[in-house]
Amino acid sequence: MSWLNPDDAQWTYVSRRLTAARLISVWLLAAPFVAGFVAAQVLAGGFWYIGAVVVATFALWASWIAARQVSAHAWAERDDDLVIKQGRMFRRVIVVPYGRMQYVEVQAGPLSRMFRIARVQLHTASPGTDAHIAGVPVAQAARLRDRLTTRGEAQLAGL
Amino acid sequence: MSQPTDLRTGRIYRAPREWTRVHPVSPFLGIWPVVGAALFYLVISRAPDWIGGGERDVTDAISATHIPWLIIAAGLLAIVLLIAGAGYVGWRMNEYRIGDDAVYQRKGVLFRQQRQARLDRLQAVDVVQPLLARLVGFGVIRIEVAGGENSGIALEYLRIGDAEALRNEIVELAAGYKRRGGPAAEVPASGGHEADAVVAIAPDGTAGALQGDNVVFAGLRHGAVDDRIEHAAAAERPVYKVPVGRLIASIALSWPTFWLVLTPVWIVALMVFFRVDIGDVLTAVVGTSLVTAVPVIAGLFGYFWTKLNRGFGFAAGISQDGIRLRHGMLETRRQTVPPGRVQAVRLRQSWWWRKAGWWEVSINVAGYQNDQDAVSTLLPVGSRADALEAIWLVLPELGLVDATGATDSAVSAAMDGTGADDGFTASPSRSRAYDLFQWRQRGVRTTDWALLIRSGRFVKEVSIVPHARTQSLALQQGPLQRALRLATVEVHSTNGPVKPIARHLAVADAVALLDAQAERAREGRKHQTPEQWMKAVGLDA
Repeated sequence: MSWLNPDDAQWTYVSRRLTAARLISVWLLAAPFVAGFVAAQVLAGGFWYIGAVVVATFALWASWIAARQVSAHAWAERDDDLVIKQGRMFRRVIVVPYGRMQYVEVQAGPLSRMFRIARVQLHTASPGTDAHIAGVPVAQAARLRDRLTTRGEAQLAGL
Repeated sequence: MSQPTDLRTGRIYRAPREWTRVHPVSPFLGIWPVVGAALFYLVISRAPDWIGGGERDVTDAISATHIPWLIIAAGLLAIVLLIAGAGYVGWRMNEYRIGDDAVYQRKGVLFRQQRQARLDRLQAVDVVQPLLARLVGFGVIRIEVAGGENSGIALEYLRIGDAEALRNEIVELAAGYKRRGGPAAEVPASGGHEADAVVAIAPDGTAGALQGDNVVFAGLRHGAVDDRIEHAAAAERPVYKVPVGRLIASIALSWPTFWLVLTPVWIVALMVFFRVDIGDVLTAVVGTSLVTAVPVIAGLFGYFWTKLNRGFGFAAGISQDGIRLRHGMLETRRQTVPPGRVQAVRLRQSWWWRKAGWWEVSINVAGYQNDQDAVSTLLPVGSRADALEAIWLVLPELGLVDATGATDSAVSAAMDGTGADDGFTASPSRSRAYDLFQWRQRGVRTTDWALLIRSGRFVKEVSIVPHARTQSLALQQGPLQRALRLATVEVHSTNGPVKPIARHLAVADAVALLDAQAERAREGRKHQTPEQWMKAVGLDA
């Protein structure tokens, strides 16, 4: 076994709409800079185009990373715990027992709402637990939250 | 039957069931730093130049504005009245009471706050006495509960007897038994149900406890107040103390001392190589007056002072209520941590302490948020046996360490083992890329009850997390780690100094550890100490 692969659960991958949402935020940030450099080039000449190329390259790279990351982001509900995996270059698998969950939070910003996705964040008594699933379709997120809460209550342990 | 009274004042120390205000002296104790600063300024401005640095007096500044003195006096009076009024109103509005399952507090003038600390979520109760409060016999009680930032309650200030009474009542209720029998805890027959709530702070019937007691300095000696209080608290068995000599030696054996001792070398080096005129530098740093020099020197020795102040008179004991820690020189703190509330433990030995064989033990307790160093020390410095005893104190179920500190236990082995000694899973040699020096020391071992993580060549560390206290787990791998087929396992504990992370294990080991640990944590949760710990052993009579 080269990496954690829960035997008794299937990975559920996050929605690909998350890729679109991330691309939009990357390009919203990059576009004004690219436009600015292009405008400077047109108006003043010189080497302003280098700036545009650099920013565009970074934005393309960030887009590629976003796409890769989203396709690696998944969760699995096991009998006693929730497993989340994320990242490609820096991989991380996190195991959160249902009995340890203090509360579950569902967040959605304007961009996420546009794409009908939400972010499910799990909180335990430890500040180190950074367990979130970004890009869960809204309906599924609500169901997931309810299921997690129910299981959490059923198995709730003290601290 | 002895009345639970302070013989000096005839007062009954009690944990109130009805809404009660904190002591009226609170606003004064609260604003004393401001008053102190003002007085200090007045004294300084009248003092000769070599102390005060020849600053202009405030009176000169006022004269220069040409505002009549009468108006200034009236303004000052108004400010004083305003502060006093705010203090009074704030005090009027700060009330607390104890119920069967929670401590309640309501305070605030404009923004009313209602707080309750649920006793089934109780993590620790501290009685803190800052210097001034201590001189006049008052204290703050801090009730820490699980549940995130600012979920605890702090009542400042109470008479120290009231604070102790409240503490005793809280831990009794939280333990899940209503009243302990025994002669000391007899309840006054009169007074009906309300009086029933009184935790008897019975003097032992003799005047001995009050011998030599006087109003001002009552609080300075632990004995004077404690003798009246501890009687009603559960019996305590002292476990260890930290002698002052050892504490001072341990503080001296540190990097700050090393750099301080090297000061002449620095000075010579600066003079020779950089041609710095040391006289100028000294003048610039220390300034020309005592007032500016004192903070500089205080800052220089702040590290030593903080360590000394916090570790002074450190004593640990065990009782039905849990572990009791007391420490502090000017500001004292008495901590009560109920059984099973310690989430993780860390043993640490700096390179300087190796020869003496000393260890420091820190703990994670949920609820302690601020000032981690002050509250999270279980043993500031102690021998190996002391350290093992300290661990036994908080994790008795570890079962591997007995009170005598048997040397063949897992923890003891972890303290100086390397490689795959004693059943440890060590980091492979290819992890040298990350840890040139300490790769041999890195390793993990699981016992029936806990996970042990060992690391550090120069600063040795052992982290211990009981399986039942594991919050969540993570497995991580960066690109270089992937190339070297390594991975890091992180165990999440509650907020605190202990961060149990097993770095750079072989991937197969790490994955196996994560799997096994998830399983063990699940098992552990089934067997963990219940919230009401006394009910578990049938002592809730």
